[in-house]
Amino acid sequence: MITCEEFFGEFADYLEGQVSPEVREELELHLSQCHACHVLYDSSRKTIKIVSESNSFELPQKVFDPIIDRVMAKLRTDRS
Amino acid sequence: MGFRGEIGLEQGFDPLVVFREGFGFVPNLVLAQSALARAMAAHAKLEEAVTFRDGAISRIHKEQILLSIAADRRDNYCSALDSGLLCSLGVPEAQIDDLLNDCGQARLSAPDRALLEFCLRLSRSASSVRCHDIEALQAQEFSDEAILEAVVVTALALYRCTLSVALAPQSDFMPPNLSQKKKPAASGSRLTAAANGSRPSAKKKGSYLPAPYLSPNTFAPFAVIQKSHGFIPNFFRSQTLRPDLLQAELEAVGAVLLTEDFLTRVQKESILLTVSAANLNSYCVAVHCNMLRGLGLSAEEADQIAVDHHLSDISKADIALLDFAVKLGAHFSEFSREDTANLETLGFTPVQILEGAVVTALNNFANTLQMGLGIEPDFASPLVFETNKVNPSGAATTLMPREGVVHFAATLQDADSELVSRAQDGNLEAFEELARRHSQLIYRTLVAILGDAADAQDAMQDTLLSAFKGVGGFQGRSKFSTWLVSIARNAALQRLRSRRNIESLDQICNDEDGDFRPRQVRAWQANPEQWHSKTEIRELVEKGLLQIPAKYRVVVVLRDIEQLSSEEVARQLGLSVPAVKTRLLRARLMLREWLSPHLAESSKGAAR
Repeated sequence: MITCEEFFGEFADYLEGQVSPEVREELELHLSQCHACHVLYDSSRKTIKIVSESNSFELPQKVFDPIIDRVMAKLRTDRS
Repeated sequence: MGFRGEIGLEQGFDPLVVFREGFGFVPNLVLAQSALARAMAAHAKLEEAVTFRDGAISRIHKEQILLSIAADRRDNYCSALDSGLLCSLGVPEAQIDDLLNDCGQARLSAPDRALLEFCLRLSRSASSVRCHDIEALQAQEFSDEAILEAVVVTALALYRCTLSVALAPQSDFMPPNLSQKKKPAASGSRLTAAANGSRPSAKKKGSYLPAPYLSPNTFAPFAVIQKSHGFIPNFFRSQTLRPDLLQAELEAVGAVLLTEDFLTRVQKESILLTVSAANLNSYCVAVHCNMLRGLGLSAEEADQIAVDHHLSDISKADIALLDFAVKLGAHFSEFSREDTANLETLGFTPVQILEGAVVTALNNFANTLQMGLGIEPDFASPLVFETNKVNPSGAATTLMPREGVVHFAATLQDADSELVSRAQDGNLEAFEELARRHSQLIYRTLVAILGDAADAQDAMQDTLLSAFKGVGGFQGRSKFSTWLVSIARNAALQRLRSRRNIESLDQICNDEDGDFRPRQVRAWQANPEQWHSKTEIRELVEKGLLQIPAKYRVVVVLRDIEQLSSEEVARQLGLSVPAVKTRLLRARLMLREWLSPHLAESSKGAAR
């Protein structure tokens, strides 16, 4: 079986679903037998899901409107 | 991103000794490369691993494959070399003659014939090879090692033939009289029939042959690639049945590609890119586009070279160099002395021209190997070749017309294009609509770099003004939103600079990624979302994002929150795809550490 170090070497690609079937098999075998790596994988997957669905830094359009209005006013003045 | 010096050629390596041992003499094809010692060394490394070393298929079988391909390409020099070698290995002249004439007629066992036919087809039209061709060989009881070797021998045959066309060496042996022989690949021959009978099989994931896992910890070359590329390309992973072969290929790559003494690395990568594109090899196109980006070209420049280098911003001399390489690598029967003379008039030295030929030969080696093994892409290619439109029974030179290959710019379906062209004509309403459409994306990019909401809102104004000023120069080679993000990025960097916020600037521009190891090992709740309100989670994530360094934050915001692909993030931020991957993992792990105390099993309901 591969070591935790080797598992970690493939981890980025595995999270992105970009490993070949052979490598995936090795990694999943490791996951089924190594608690620490299983925790790492499970919590990383949940992190991605939570971050993706968090709507972080989303602002209502009404915050942007005055900014855009200011820019457009400036562009119109520059033109005339 | 180089591994030269780490996978270098060992001290005292003498290519001539290798050739003398393997062939009994040094072929003129090798001597013709003597102006570039490292090219001879690369060639020796490949021959040593592929031809001379004992493997799953015998030396005689390998020479038969090499001879059949050389004869099929009507390569007088290589045919003479391989006939001479087979003769010295004790193969009867009548049999050599059969192979020269038409291997379909040669007296071979059924499996040997099947293997030879497979190799010939791979050499003529690699893109017609499918997984079921490999399965047919496996059904003939060929081992996976034997099939891998057959693919690599075919790749080497094309390496030799490409060099022979470019360098036109004197024959080592009396040349066989190919001119009286039948035309190769006559229609209706068994080979053509086999090719026409090929049907695209259901796409199978992964390359055609199994490849055992090799760890960077135990196989040093992988550790070097891991370090230089950030990952191990499937090209190398797919050949792990023969680690010695991998080692030899890496040494050849190091010797030929990773130097700057004659041709520059950008010139060499551009050759690899254009010839791979002419050979319809999407995998290699993606690799070399990415390499060019790593060497400082923008994504648009690299794509343009792949699509049509004549329209790119490179010098007239470089265009001629690429024309030379494409003709040599993909339309070899049209290649003539004039092509070499033309480069000389443009100021290329003989050594540079020799190097251009060697790079092209190595490219054809790699293209053949990739298609023969069905190596899966590491990342999306900007060009998708419709291989089913390639005539599988045609000679190697039968390629799709260029205009049929790519409409890259046209295929970028950008919902903004109509508004963009109006904005380019000075229509302010169209620009305003675009600004509203993308304000959230611009804001997220700004806040991710600046790390402060109020700052980001201020910087939006600068971004939009720059965007309006620059929209006339936007050429539609990327999506408009991609372009906007790069404008936002510049505006944010400008802001940091004007404030002399050196610390943040350094964080963003610094390429070094120190080691980051996960520390939290407590298991998480099964459904963390159900224990916390959406607002709680959002606050927690935003706080976490604001306390990680900006260069990681910007990657994770664009990838995981804006849901862009890694390739798009790379384009927008002017990073290589491997760099994006490294930073993305780092960012996700940092956020995991941050979230862990709140979401671990024992902390239900304790979000803050």
